[in-house]
Amino acid sequence: MAKVEQRRGVSDETLREFFREMLLIRRFEEKVEERFRAGELPGFLHVGIGQEAIAVGVCRALADGDVIASTHRAHGHTLAKGTHPNELMAELYGKLEGCSHGYGGSMHLYDVERGNLGANAVVGGGLPAIVGAALAFKFRGEPRVAVAFFGDGATNIGTFHESLNLAQLWQVPAVFVCENNHWAESTPAKQHMPIEDLTRRAEAFGMKSLKVDGQDVEEVHRVAARALKHARDGKGPVFLLCETQRLVGHYIGDPQVYRDKEELNRLQETADPLELLREKLGLSDADYEALDQEVQELVDASVEFAKAGTDPKPEDALKNVYA
Amino acid sequence: MPELSYREAVRDALSRAMRADEDVFIMGEDIAEMGGSMGVTQGMLDEFGPERVRNTPISEMAIVGSGIGAAMQGMRPVVEVMYEDFLTISMEQIVNQAAKHRYMSGGQLKVPLTIRTQGGAGWSPGAQHAQQVEAWFVGVPGLKVVFASTPSDVRGLLWSAIYDDNPVVFFEHRTLYGLKEEVAEEIEPIPIGQARVHREGEDVTVVATGRLVHEALAAAEEAEQEGVSVEVVDPRTLQPLDEDAIVASVKKTNRCVVAHEAVTRMGFGAEVAAVVQQQAFDWLDAPVERVGAKFTPLPFAPVMEEYVVPHAKDVLEAIRKTVQRDGTS
Amino acid sequence: MANEVKLPRLGQGMESGTIVKWLKSEGDQVEKGEPLYELDTDKVTQEVEAEASGVLLKITVAEGEADVGTTIAVIGEQGEDLSAIVGATAQPVAEAAQEEGSPGAAREQERERGRDATTAEQMPETRTPSQGNGAGARIKASPLARRIARERGIELGSLKGTGPEGRVVAEDVERAAAGAPAPAAPAPAIPGEIERVPLTSVRRTIARRLTEAWQAPAFQIAMSADMTRAQHLHARLAEQAKEGEPRPTVTDILTKACAAALMRHRAVNALWAEDAIELHPSANVGIAVAIEAGLVVPVIHQAERLTIAELAAARADIVTRARDNKLRQEDLDGGTFTISNLGMFGVEQFVAVLNPPQAAILAVGAIEPKAVPIETGLEARPLMTMTLTCDHRSLDGATAADFLRTVKAFLEEPGLML
Repeated sequence: MAKVEQRRGVSDETLREFFREMLLIRRFEEKVEERFRAGELPGFLHVGIGQEAIAVGVCRALADGDVIASTHRAHGHTLAKGTHPNELMAELYGKLEGCSHGYGGSMHLYDVERGNLGANAVVGGGLPAIVGAALAFKFRGEPRVAVAFFGDGATNIGTFHESLNLAQLWQVPAVFVCENNHWAESTPAKQHMPIEDLTRRAEAFGMKSLKVDGQDVEEVHRVAARALKHARDGKGPVFLLCETQRLVGHYIGDPQVYRDKEELNRLQETADPLELLREKLGLSDADYEALDQEVQELVDASVEFAKAGTDPKPEDALKNVYA
Repeated sequence: MPELSYREAVRDALSRAMRADEDVFIMGEDIAEMGGSMGVTQGMLDEFGPERVRNTPISEMAIVGSGIGAAMQGMRPVVEVMYEDFLTISMEQIVNQAAKHRYMSGGQLKVPLTIRTQGGAGWSPGAQHAQQVEAWFVGVPGLKVVFASTPSDVRGLLWSAIYDDNPVVFFEHRTLYGLKEEVAEEIEPIPIGQARVHREGEDVTVVATGRLVHEALAAAEEAEQEGVSVEVVDPRTLQPLDEDAIVASVKKTNRCVVAHEAVTRMGFGAEVAAVVQQQAFDWLDAPVERVGAKFTPLPFAPVMEEYVVPHAKDVLEAIRKTVQRDGTS
Repeated sequence: MANEVKLPRLGQGMESGTIVKWLKSEGDQVEKGEPLYELDTDKVTQEVEAEASGVLLKITVAEGEADVGTTIAVIGEQGEDLSAIVGATAQPVAEAAQEEGSPGAAREQERERGRDATTAEQMPETRTPSQGNGAGARIKASPLARRIARERGIELGSLKGTGPEGRVVAEDVERAAAGAPAPAAPAPAIPGEIERVPLTSVRRTIARRLTEAWQAPAFQIAMSADMTRAQHLHARLAEQAKEGEPRPTVTDILTKACAAALMRHRAVNALWAEDAIELHPSANVGIAVAIEAGLVVPVIHQAERLTIAELAAARADIVTRARDNKLRQEDLDGGTFTISNLGMFGVEQFVAVLNPPQAAILAVGAIEPKAVPIETGLEARPLMTMTLTCDHRSLDGATAADFLRTVKAFLEEPGLML
């Protein structure tokens, strides 16, 4: 096992933890895909295979009390923000034990206690609330940061521009994490953006922007920590651009007719954040197998937990409409 | 007892809440130095400063959306959307976000946000500054909808809206801002979901909202001259609706007219009529009559605007229809 | 294979008919074309022939009113299973037909049932579709009025509604409950003296059509014709009549005179068509015939082409069949002019009500000897008074007078029309 140098800012041990978490997300997503195809999971599901390093890198840089808003591709963010796989899987099965108690589903994962203000199925829908949360932190002088995850597709919608403008105008402690996977569902970036470098959009509002290789969890973590410190120190919001790859379809079952198969194969071989990290860590097969078995057991257990969960009564639908 | 205009009553409720509670703040377009496009927030910047009386860019999505975010963190923001017509821009945030966060989170979140807005015809702004859209929001589970028609009501209801743990869309009427009324020294909070009987009567119940409450009261005076005794009920809160008060009144009078400035088709009155027929069918002695705007966008030319929106004479005509005795129709 | 016998549409506008009686019983063998049952439509009672041969397996509507298209019987082979047909369609119709056939009785039952909510709300609706007239139509009343009436046992149908469109409102019921005279409460019945005669569809049609006719702006003109020569002609024709053939009557001569006159005055051989006046090429002359059920007007088509002897034969045929309830729909359709003769009852003269959409109807009285001034003084002549009722929408006085003068001339000089 090769020694990893400390200059990176995190210890070997921490990096192994990151790997374990990313592997957990990967195995979880694979399991979700398997159970969905088996017909056990209702609804509309989007998995984040290929984008695990951003979820783990950013969330591991957060402090207690920081909050996030996620997207329709939310399983990774939710696990990384600390929700137990059991609660997440139970939600996907529509059980009361789920993190949204069966009211949300895959695209509406909440865990308020752990600072997850909700995944949003409307592209860009969660950004304004992150500005508001950050405004509340500023009002109260609390050293907390609000973080919005969103994709490159969301940078074309009005809420993105209104939110960045307002956040910068009011200098609120927010970080806007753009997961640039170059696809807005099936539409490639060249068809939905007239520019290549998305940091220019943030710069238009005078906002500090940072750019990082989103497949390198160590880098994501390092740069996210910088962004969070900037915001927390009252220096204003930050736009954090993470270049990444979606190594699967938009949704489970997406035949990806719009995508070049060879290019996808090439990316799966060269841009898999887990493979890159495994190599960097120089994990032995035995170590890898041991970790894999550990997370696989967690994932399997989550399915058992979810299936044994409590179905809501139909009339439970009438609860929680009003406070 | 101080006399307050409707405008001052709104300001009074906002100011008292902000004095009492640091979690309350207001934001919106032109609300600071200018004091709001309707002058509602005049002087508040001086008292509370620019942090709590926040001028915003022209960004309805972000105004409402950041209000949602702050509310989810436990603050009680009151955001102002300058005209009801502009609610359309923030519709996604109101309908998909504010109304649903509590539900989608399985009860983990609360969104104590008040969205103040105003509209209404009578001053010829044309089609994009006067539409009445309150009914759109009544059909969205998770939202509460208030439409106050007098200074005392607007003050007491706004207070309750601010302290409600749900998002409240709070409608004010443009032409009522100058309306004056003696009000109590202290704010008397009015529970959300409680109707007000403005005038008791025996023969016909008019369920009216907003400006039409005053038109209905004028029509009731005229009807009185004709020997018809009219009861005027203002629901004040459209969601939740005080069905009991409306049904009780109709059971007494056996006739019902619904009246609002918004278009009749799919207007709030349609819901009231449905409630009445369902709960008071055997008490009805005439079909429920509806009074509302004609089905057009609001025209500019004053004569056309006057023609499109309903007035006291339209309410009176509807009242006469319900008590008609001459066999013609 | 079972054939459903469905109530046929026998004329334009026919929506329903009343089955008077079956001429065959269940189990009887019937042949295609054989009379099967008697049907009373709003115009006529007629025998309807079987459209298929076989055994009359089932009569599903024994008597009473049924809508056009209703299955009223089934013809097939002995022993066939009819459950699919009979169970699915016939029963409910039969029930409804019974109820609808006697609205008076239905109301009676309604009263006895004490007007519970179900009765009050549902009964009128079950009657509405085929009835469409006052007797069984839904009573318009506000929900409140219905409830008060129900609670106080007041018959809504006995009240006159004073609300919009005659709707019974609460006040009307309360007035009745308080014992105040209701505007249209029926007079107290004297027990045992009033017999209520249910309307046949013929009677109902007469009532409706004549009421309609009353709305047309009508005027009358009258003339008397000296029937001396017509009577001579009549006597001669009667002598010539062959054994077994109907003897011509004065009416036949009159029909001939009218048909010939109509051909000369086409404006009178006219129908009012709301947006136009139809002038018809043939004189289709209706003859009003009194029958037990009321009045029918069978038509002699193209009367202008027939000789008096042929007219006599045609007249005899339709009058006989009218009295035997054996008129066919086509006997009743297409009339352009009507003659109503009450001379045989000793009526001297009378005014007939229009038979819309026809432009005119001729009312004919008895031939009576009257003193007529001649050069040498007075002479008794057989005079007959004819009164022509005209629809002023189609016809004006001068035109009508011209026509009537021609009829008079033809009668006085029969040679002119022959």
